[in-house]
Amino acid sequence: MHKLRKALLIIVAILLAAVMLLPLVWMISTSLKNDFEALAGQMNFIPKKPTIDNYIQGLNGELMNVPIMRWITNSLSIGIIGTGIILLIDSMAAYALARLQDMMFRKILFSMFIASLMIPGVLTFLPMYMEFNGLGLINTYAALILPYTAGAFGVFLLYQFFISFPKEIEEAARIDGANKWQIYSRVVLPSSVSIMVTLGIFTFMGIYNDFVWPLYAATSPDMRTITAGIALMSQGSYTQAYGKLMAMTTIAALPVLIIFMIGQRFFVKAIIQSAVK
Amino acid sequence: MKPTLKSRISSSLFALPYTLCFAAFLLFPICYGFYISLHDFELLSKEHPFVGLSNYIAIFTPNSYENSLFFRGLWATIQFVIFSVPLLIIAGLAIAMLVNALPSKLRGLFRTFYFIPYALSASVMAVIWLMMFDTNAGFLNSMLQKLGGQSIPWLTGTPWAWVSLIITTLWWTIGFNMIIFINALNQVPEDYYEAASIDGASSWSKFIYITLPTIRPVMLFVMITSTIASFNIYAQPFLLTRGGPGDTTRVLLINVLDHAFIRKEVGSASAMAIIMALIIIIISLVQYRLTYGRKEGN
Repeated sequence: MHKLRKALLIIVAILLAAVMLLPLVWMISTSLKNDFEALAGQMNFIPKKPTIDNYIQGLNGELMNVPIMRWITNSLSIGIIGTGIILLIDSMAAYALARLQDMMFRKILFSMFIASLMIPGVLTFLPMYMEFNGLGLINTYAALILPYTAGAFGVFLLYQFFISFPKEIEEAARIDGANKWQIYSRVVLPSSVSIMVTLGIFTFMGIYNDFVWPLYAATSPDMRTITAGIALMSQGSYTQAYGKLMAMTTIAALPVLIIFMIGQRFFVKAIIQSAVK
Repeated sequence: MKPTLKSRISSSLFALPYTLCFAAFLLFPICYGFYISLHDFELLSKEHPFVGLSNYIAIFTPNSYENSLFFRGLWATIQFVIFSVPLLIIAGLAIAMLVNALPSKLRGLFRTFYFIPYALSASVMAVIWLMMFDTNAGFLNSMLQKLGGQSIPWLTGTPWAWVSLIITTLWWTIGFNMIIFINALNQVPEDYYEAASIDGASSWSKFIYITLPTIRPVMLFVMITSTIASFNIYAQPFLLTRGGPGDTTRVLLINVLDHAFIRKEVGSASAMAIIMALIIIIISLVQYRLTYGRKEGN
C-alpha cells in the first residue's frame, strides 16, 4: 500500500513536470524548424529537417532589420550596471541603518523605506515616464537603469543580515584603527558574499526580465531591450514566423535560465526572505 | 559618549546615495503624479492648464468616456483576480505538498522543474504561449485534432480567452507560491503530526487541523502577493489576446497605459493610475489587518 502510494505520487509528479516543461521544449524544437514546418500543425518534437538558420539569420540582424545582438547587449548591460549600482548603494544604506546608530534621520528613513515596499508600481509609472521625458532621457541607458535603484527590497534584505552580524568583529577592527568605510569595505562586505550574491541574482533577473517599463522607456530600434523587442516582433513582422520567433525567444531566455540553473539556491533564498517580513 | 557631528555626518553619507535615488525615483514621481492628475496634461502639448479635480470627477461621472474606460477595465481586472487567485493559492499549495511528499532525493529536481517558468520574462512567457495557443498551427489545437476533437479558439473566443490567460499565469507564476508554501510546510513542527497520529487522526484531518492553521500567516502573504500580481496583469492580455475578443480582456492597466500613450491624455490617465494604486493599497491593508487582527485575538 505504501509502495503503491509512493509510485503513484512519482507518476503524478512526472506528468506535472512534463506539462511544465513542454512549452519550453516546444520552443526549442520549433526554433530548429523552418517556418513552413513550424506552421504545419504537426506535433513532432524532433524537426524533420533540423536547421539552425533561424539562429544565424536572427543573430545577423539582417532579417527584417532586427538588431537582435544590440538588444541583447542592451539587456545584459542594463542588468549588470543596474545590479552593480544597487548592490553598492543598498549595502551602504543597509549598513548605516543597521550598524551606525548616530546616522541622521535613521528611524524616519527606515520607516519610509519599509513603507515604500507597499507602493504599487502603477503609482509611479506615468510620472516616472514624464520625469525622464522631461529630462530628455527617454531612449537612454539612464532611463533603463535608474528607476530600479529606488527599490527598497535590497536595503531591507541586507539590513536583516547586517543587524545580526557579530559586533565583536567590527569592534576589533575599530580598535585596530579602521574607520567606518574601511570596516564596511574590508570587514562587513567580505563576510556578506552569500547575501550579496542572493540580492545580485534577484536584482539582475528582475531588471533583465522587466517588460512594461522598457517597452515605453526605450522606443528607438537600437535602444530596445530583448524582452520588449521580442514582444514587439511577435505582434509585428514576425507574426506567425514561429521558427524565427522561437529562435529569438530562446536566445532571450537563455541568460536568465543559465543564471537560474546555477544560482537557484540563492534565488529561492531571496524569495523566501521576501515572505518573512 | 555623545557622537561628534563629524561622525554623524560620515554615518549619514553611507545612506545618502540610496536616499537620493529613493527621493528621485520614488518620492518625486509619487508627488509629480498627483500634480499631473490635477492638470489637463496632454502629452505633446506645452501648456498644461490646472483643472482641479475634474480628471477624477470625469472618471466617476456616469457615461463619460473616462468612466467607461476605467470601470470596464476594472471589471475585466477584477474578473481575472477572482478566477486566478484561488487557483494560484490552491495549486501552489497542492504542488508544494506533492513535492514534500516525494522521496527526499527527488524533491530538489522536481522543485526545479516546477519553478523554471518563473525565471522567464513576461514577454518570453507570452510569446511562447502565443505559439502554443495558435488556432491553426498551435500545439494545443494540433493535439486536440490528433485526439479527434475540435479546434478551440484559445485567444479569440469566450470564455477561452480567460482560460488561456489563467493557464499562462498559472504556468508562469505557480513556482513562486510553491516555494513559499514548501518553506512554510517545512516549518510545521513534526511532533504536531506525531501527536495527531497517536490519536488516530486521518491525513485529511491532520491537513485541516494542523497544517492549515499553522501556515495561516503564509497563506495570507500568498493571498496578498497573488492578488496584487493579478491586479497588475498586463503582459498576458496585451500580447496574447490583445484585449479581445472585443474588449473582454482589456484589463485596467492596458486601458490606463493606452489612455496615456495612445490618446496622450496623461493627466486623466494619472488620475486613473492613482485610483488603481489606492485600490491595491486598500486590498493589501485589509488583508494585512486580517492577519494582524487574528494575532491580537490569540
